[in-house]
Amino acid sequence: MKRYWRLIGIFAGSSIAAQLEYRANFVVNVIGSLLTALGSLFGLSILLGTGSSLGGWNQLEAIVVVGVFTLVEGFMGVFLYPNLNKIAESVRTGSMDFTLLKPLDAQFLVSSRNIGILRVADLLIGLGMIVYATVNLGGSSAGGVLVAALLIVAGFASVYSIWLMLCTTAFWWIGVENITELFWGFFRAGQFPVTAFPGWGRILFTFVIPVAFITTVPAEALIGRVQGSAVLGALIVSLLLVVISRSFWRFALRNYTSASS
Amino acid sequence: MKLEPVKLEGTRTVGSLEHVWRKSRALFTIWFAQTMVYRAQIVIWVLSGVVPLIMMSVWIGKAAASGGNLEGFTPASFAAYFLAAWVSQQLTVAWVAWEMDFQIRQGELSSRLLRPLDPFWEHFFRHLSDRFVRGPFILIFVIVGSLIVPGTRLTPDLWHVLLYLLVINLAFAMRFLIAYCIGVLCFWLENATAFDEFFYVLLTFLAGGFAPLEFYPPAARAIIEWTPFPYLVYFPARVLTGALSAPEILRVIGVQLLWITVFFVLRSVLWKAGLKRYGAVGA
Repeated sequence: MKRYWRLIGIFAGSSIAAQLEYRANFVVNVIGSLLTALGSLFGLSILLGTGSSLGGWNQLEAIVVVGVFTLVEGFMGVFLYPNLNKIAESVRTGSMDFTLLKPLDAQFLVSSRNIGILRVADLLIGLGMIVYATVNLGGSSAGGVLVAALLIVAGFASVYSIWLMLCTTAFWWIGVENITELFWGFFRAGQFPVTAFPGWGRILFTFVIPVAFITTVPAEALIGRVQGSAVLGALIVSLLLVVISRSFWRFALRNYTSASS
Repeated sequence: MKLEPVKLEGTRTVGSLEHVWRKSRALFTIWFAQTMVYRAQIVIWVLSGVVPLIMMSVWIGKAAASGGNLEGFTPASFAAYFLAAWVSQQLTVAWVAWEMDFQIRQGELSSRLLRPLDPFWEHFFRHLSDRFVRGPFILIFVIVGSLIVPGTRLTPDLWHVLLYLLVINLAFAMRFLIAYCIGVLCFWLENATAFDEFFYVLLTFLAGGFAPLEFYPPAARAIIEWTPFPYLVYFPARVLTGALSAPEILRVIGVQLLWITVFFVLRSVLWKAGLKRYGAVGA
């Protein structure tokens, strides 16, 4: 276990050093992140413009959801996209063989090699929105913050697992390298509280694509009106996804016959 | 011995209408075949552009919560609007900025420039063939979508569909030329594709896929109408749903033609200046 932590440090260091060469890129990406965040807030104000609430959430409460959404998007950009999206290419070129030959867990290797430092701004902006809105709502209890933090970590795990499963399909379907865009597209529903959707939308975004557990429920915990069943649901969904994605990954590896064979 | 001047087959017709037609057909055939190889990826792109559909359900939820009518929009008219916005967004997709970036950076542009054809047309036919692969899938989703939401009337009559075909093609020309202008900036800038991403963010929130312009604050709406954005998604969607009168549609077409002229001239100027620079680097 200690070896893995040390490796994470080495990987992060080399990955960041490589990207620091392109400083202009960093500035441009920060501008992009700010623009996206401003767009989300502008969109929210339009939605709220014709009434004072969105599915029972007032403006500040809805901003907490946008904050959690931006934070998770940052997680996807920093940790998932630069790593898992390379699986398809390495299956196609056969370089997956080298990953499998190393005396380390292959899933760990494909998940931790890179850090997309350019998207770190999303993490900070999301955190900023959460803090700003929560403080203006009158703060949150220590318990609320703790539960929210736990739920956000669980959300990260869920997103990671879904992403890994999508990328693992590359072992069979070489031609669909952009498959994670599917999740990225549907995940945009997470910038709104799930109660903003009509009945069928709520069911879709809770049970089919568990976006509600990833953004709405942590926000509820911060605001202090979360239900125990929702917390339990989020944790169970997250755990299930981790277990299922892990077995799916191992199943794919067992069927992997390398390129050209 | 006296040599007869060599007569090249085909040179006679250079520049004629028939020549243009043959060239276009050849380009389309090539790119259609290439695009078909990536049809699975195209279906995924179609499915992942769901923002207008997400917004559709949010607005329907909002209309239902406030008694079934929001400033003249009922759940059914929201469904029609956003379905039309989704189609319009799909049909105006352009990624030419990324292609230009790749070609200029990899030096692939050099071999393209040797051909007796402006690379503009290769990009154009590549995008055109994408629409033909995308089209059938879009049609299927629209039919399914209008069946799922009861009472959705996408369009009152055939005239609106025909006018829509004109308006959406002009919208595509606008988007394509804008992306092209951004792509040409790669001659000068290291990360011009970032500008295409900025443009995409603005497009998401200002073009009409997020909400009909009726719901924007009046001041914001007045500014947005002076930009190209609503002419890419909002106005085409309104034409398709039959919400605009004939004079309004004419005005939309006029403004679209104006924007097309502006970006066409801009593209030509930038392209000429950029090529000089490209040569100067020694690539």
